[in-house]
Amino acid sequence: MTAPAKISCRHLWKIFGPDPQGFLKRHGEAPKDEDFARENYIGAVRDVSFDVYPGEILIIMGLSGSGKSTLIRAITRLNDPTQGQILLDGNDLLKATPAELIDLRRHKMGMVFQHFGLLPHRSVLSNVAFPLEVRGAAREERETRAREMIKLVGLEGREDYFPRELSGGQQQRVGIARSLAVEPDIWFLDEPFSALDPLIRREMQDEFLRLQKLLRKTIVFITHDFDEAIRLGDRIGIMKDGRLVQLATPEDMVSAPADDYVREFTRNAPRDRILTVGAVASREHVPVNGVNVLASAKIGDAAALVLSSDKAIAVIDADGKPVGAIDRKRMIAALYPDGAR
Amino acid sequence: MRAVTRFVKSGVVGAAMLAAGATGASAQDSSDPIRIITNNWTSQLVLSNVLGQILQAQGTNVEYKSSDTQLQYTALAGGDMDFQVEVWEGSQAEAFEKALAGGAVDYGAHEAVTREDWWYPKYMNEMCPGLPDWKALDACAGKLATAETGSKGRFVGPPADWGKHYSERIQALKMNFQEVPVGQAATLWAELQAAYDRKEPIVLFNWTPNFIEAKFDGQFVEFPVYEPACLSDPKWGSNPDAVYDCGAPAKGYLKKAGSKQLGEKWPKAAAFLKKVNFTNPQIAAAAAMVDVDGMTPEDAAKKWIADNEAVWKAWLQ
Amino acid sequence: MTSSAAVVRPAAARAPPLDLIAMVAVLAALLVLAQLVPVFDKWPEALVIPVRGWVTDFFAWFAQTAKPVTRAIAWLLAQPLALVEALLYRGIPAWKWPPLPWPAIVLGAALLGHWIGGRPLALLCGLASFYLALFGLWPDAMQTLAIVLVTVPLAAISGLLLGIWATRSRRAERVLNVIFDVMQATPHMAYLGPVVILFGFGQVPAMLATLGFALPPMARCTILGIRTVPRDVIEAGHMAGCTPLQLLWKVELPAAERTLLLGLNQVVMQTLAMAVIASLVGASGLGQKLLFSLQQLQIGKAVEQGVAITLIAIVLDRMTQAFMRRNPQRIAPGTPWVRRHRYLVAFGVLVVVTIAAARMFPALAIYPKELTLSYGGPINDAVRWISRNLFPYVKPIRDSITIWLLLPLRDFYLFLPWPVVIGIPAMIGWHFGGWRLALLPVGLLGFLMLAGFWTPLMLTLYLVTSTTVLCVIIGIPLGIWAARRPLAARIINTVCDTLQTFPSFIYLIPVIMLFQTSDLSNVIAMLAYATVPAIRFTYLGLLRVPQATVEAATAAGATAAQRLRKVELPIAFPEILLGINQTIMMALAMVAITALIGSRDLGQEIYKALPGADTGRGLLAGLGIAFIGIIADRLIGAWAQKRKKELGMG
Repeated sequence: MTAPAKISCRHLWKIFGPDPQGFLKRHGEAPKDEDFARENYIGAVRDVSFDVYPGEILIIMGLSGSGKSTLIRAITRLNDPTQGQILLDGNDLLKATPAELIDLRRHKMGMVFQHFGLLPHRSVLSNVAFPLEVRGAAREERETRAREMIKLVGLEGREDYFPRELSGGQQQRVGIARSLAVEPDIWFLDEPFSALDPLIRREMQDEFLRLQKLLRKTIVFITHDFDEAIRLGDRIGIMKDGRLVQLATPEDMVSAPADDYVREFTRNAPRDRILTVGAVASREHVPVNGVNVLASAKIGDAAALVLSSDKAIAVIDADGKPVGAIDRKRMIAALYPDGAR
Repeated sequence: MRAVTRFVKSGVVGAAMLAAGATGASAQDSSDPIRIITNNWTSQLVLSNVLGQILQAQGTNVEYKSSDTQLQYTALAGGDMDFQVEVWEGSQAEAFEKALAGGAVDYGAHEAVTREDWWYPKYMNEMCPGLPDWKALDACAGKLATAETGSKGRFVGPPADWGKHYSERIQALKMNFQEVPVGQAATLWAELQAAYDRKEPIVLFNWTPNFIEAKFDGQFVEFPVYEPACLSDPKWGSNPDAVYDCGAPAKGYLKKAGSKQLGEKWPKAAAFLKKVNFTNPQIAAAAAMVDVDGMTPEDAAKKWIADNEAVWKAWLQ
Repeated sequence: MTSSAAVVRPAAARAPPLDLIAMVAVLAALLVLAQLVPVFDKWPEALVIPVRGWVTDFFAWFAQTAKPVTRAIAWLLAQPLALVEALLYRGIPAWKWPPLPWPAIVLGAALLGHWIGGRPLALLCGLASFYLALFGLWPDAMQTLAIVLVTVPLAAISGLLLGIWATRSRRAERVLNVIFDVMQATPHMAYLGPVVILFGFGQVPAMLATLGFALPPMARCTILGIRTVPRDVIEAGHMAGCTPLQLLWKVELPAAERTLLLGLNQVVMQTLAMAVIASLVGASGLGQKLLFSLQQLQIGKAVEQGVAITLIAIVLDRMTQAFMRRNPQRIAPGTPWVRRHRYLVAFGVLVVVTIAAARMFPALAIYPKELTLSYGGPINDAVRWISRNLFPYVKPIRDSITIWLLLPLRDFYLFLPWPVVIGIPAMIGWHFGGWRLALLPVGLLGFLMLAGFWTPLMLTLYLVTSTTVLCVIIGIPLGIWAARRPLAARIINTVCDTLQTFPSFIYLIPVIMLFQTSDLSNVIAMLAYATVPAIRFTYLGLLRVPQATVEAATAAGATAAQRLRKVELPIAFPEILLGINQTIMMALAMVAITALIGSRDLGQEIYKALPGADTGRGLLAGLGIAFIGIIADRLIGAWAQKRKKELGMG
């Protein structure tokens, strides 16, 4: 991922209290946990920095109260951050005037909300067309576009329904269609599936992946569900007490959790579907014979082969060059890290 | 936007034309409506309607404006209303004088006289022998006592702000009574009706002419006869140390009042209104049509006009 | 339950003794002090600050100075009123335009009812409007309706704007909240004084007074509605790129629609509540005719007119409520214009047909007098019958309540030295809410004393206390009964509704006939209104006791009486307290009305000040009533809050 970042967050702070700016200054722009406790300030987002690259799904994961919601509201400027920098295609979002901000939201951003945020007094069609309406699109144009979006999310025939007449999953489809109506570059999703039943949630995740394959948006996705993060994310950032504890690909996170907090999440992760053979292979070279595995293969797919073999098996890259080896012991250690200890 | 300005413009032009029309017609009676004050008692309403309907028949525009008895004088002086047919000496003299000083015009007195004083239903004559003399009433105080007044007789007085000095009179005449002021006239009548139905003794504030005499049989208590000195000189009367030791005037005036512009804008109508002169029987008959026969004041006025053509035709001469 | 009981007990065991002893000691000291130093007994007349004179002078000066402005405002407001009046009953004689014929309005009301709420509402609207014609009240009712139709949108829009402003600025909200508190606690009648001085007599001043009274609930509902729009919806609006104005019009207000309609409903009810009172400043219409009927002792006629006002109120209430419940309906694409606007078309046809028909049959233009009915006579007779035949039974009750309860209480209140009167609420405030709450009664009551309203203030307190005590004695058992038996609940609810919508003036006459002009009459007239919240809140409080708790008590073997006393009443207590709070507010609101019976309290001061244009007296007396209400509200609110916290329900 060498392309320039679509979004860059630099040392972002969001502090609640009577005088957040002064508080930050008093503590040399780096207040400690004790400072917050002592002065009764709340540090919802503390010194967070990260980049989001074009076409990437970045997941921000954290439990409730970890600051993930505040973070996404800071990036979208729904709540202005206390301090820091947000670069959007290299431009400082925090310096944008209200008019510029409105313009950005009308053309570049789309957002999906946990409780859908549909306008109860408008039909499905009118809800989806709403962002186009506020930016002044003609009726014909916005309704055509809205119909396309409704079709995209599979709600044709429900255009004239009102939100109260739809199920939760259907309502969120409307929310998704609405957020995509303006063809945004950047797509924010704030716990979009948390309010849904588990079965529907699964279905919506698939739907989301399908759409992303089609649209290739740059995505910031908030969730409190680690499984969802692993399933959907290209990279995952884990937040705790306002800080970004670790930002990594699912595989790196599972194979090398930054601390016990992260490890706790990864413990029950489906390692077989996250780790690649390359990541767990040894660097020793074994002769390549008829039996070998691709380094990019998930260990779950290679497990049967490796476990049934008495000897180490060669690991090769896409060009067929050997890059290492894997044996039964290594495979078991990778699949069951706790049991092996 | 343009439509709005156009609308406003046409409105302005319209108003200007109206104003021009009003000034242009000043030699004759103006076409603006004369604002006749209506109060909330029957005789006033019927008489106002009588005059209004006569004026309308003469081609003058009339508008009825209901008002409070005290505030109407500010309005008359300020030119917000134009004519009042009943100005009562007893309760309104003070405000009326003030209005005259402020620009209102005295339109002369009716032949009718007014009286406001203590009043009782006739059946009490048997309970308290010697009535209507006030001393007989005082002797009868025990029969008028209630839980709230203790041993004293209960006098149901007018609303406290009507400017009567009955508590002072009770003290000056050393009567064994207590005044219980009501909040409004309706309360007086409710008290009277209830007591009348139950044949209970009651003494209350009342005035004439009004509808009460048509419905209830009774009379005024006779206090020491009024003289102006009674109110200014303590030595006057039975109590040498106090004023108010007398009754109210038995023949108070009933006048008419108009605004300053009434005579200027509607000279013909003003001349007519100056001549208007009702008598006590006429007023009582007019009020009875509403209070006893249940007609509306408008219909009663129509009937009065039909029945008394000679009377009002004379005023128009 | 056990855990909350455990919380309650130590608190109850800890707080009172010290506090209570200290308080009693301070009060005793104050009493003694009052006997020794006269200034601490009765505030001397000479030290009264002539605030009321200043206020009166200010208003007189202001009225004179601002005359061009007030005249312009009055003229401006008179225009829409003239238009509506022309439509409803006046017509435009200059252009030979007739007003809408009565069948057009009756059927139009039914049509509107059908559009909003289907057949039942259509029937109600049609019949209620027909009542107005049938009982010969048509022109008066149309006058009242015209004022309502013009005032309601005006009050709704100004309330909406103020409410929006409050949601945009915290400071504005704080200021407005205080103003609204005072405005809502000030009796209707106190508005009339300043309005009369500034705008004179008649329809427009009445509209303005009504506006002042009806506006706060609308503004409050706007604030509440906008504040309770789900965060997601607002954020979705932001993210869609709404400008602040777009956000307001396209997101916040539509999403808050139901609460806004609730506000509108309140505006309508307040406007009609003012209908009678406004006639004291010369508003013509049903209210004026009603007062006139009472003046003539025609109670039956007054009832006919009162019922008309109540019917208009009920119809408008049901309409706004039905509108509130309405959901936007799906319209199938391709529906023809006429079908989509069928109600509008039907109304258009109705108007044309009736106007044409009215030309041929004058009976359709103006409802003929010969066809009107009246039930006033029997009602008159009934009231007189009651007064004649029930009086012997009422008299002993009346006398004993007067001698044993009211007179001693009145003497006691008048005996109390002022430091004690101010000290008691201050101490209660200190106990429940600290020194801030203690200062409130000191400031407000102190001001009234300095302004020279002490005696009327004490007489008001005396009437309100007596009323509240009687309301609690009557209301709580009725509330308990209603909570036990659904049938009782239905009956009581209906009675309460009727009591509250019927113009209160009408009760006064029968009350006077039975109880004479006396404090007891005042108390009883207040009682008729003020018992309602005591009943309602007891009922609701008991209904809201968690089912599980009740079942647990039953399972523990509690008898019905034990359950009520030990479980349900303690849990419902905060709610009941709020009911008592409302009772006090209602009693205070009635203080001004009972002035018509005759009393010497603050209500009488307002009423007396009205004709004399003594603005200072009326306004300050009105504020005095508002102050009592605010003090009671804050103290009881703090108490209820504390109890709720102790019960773990806050």
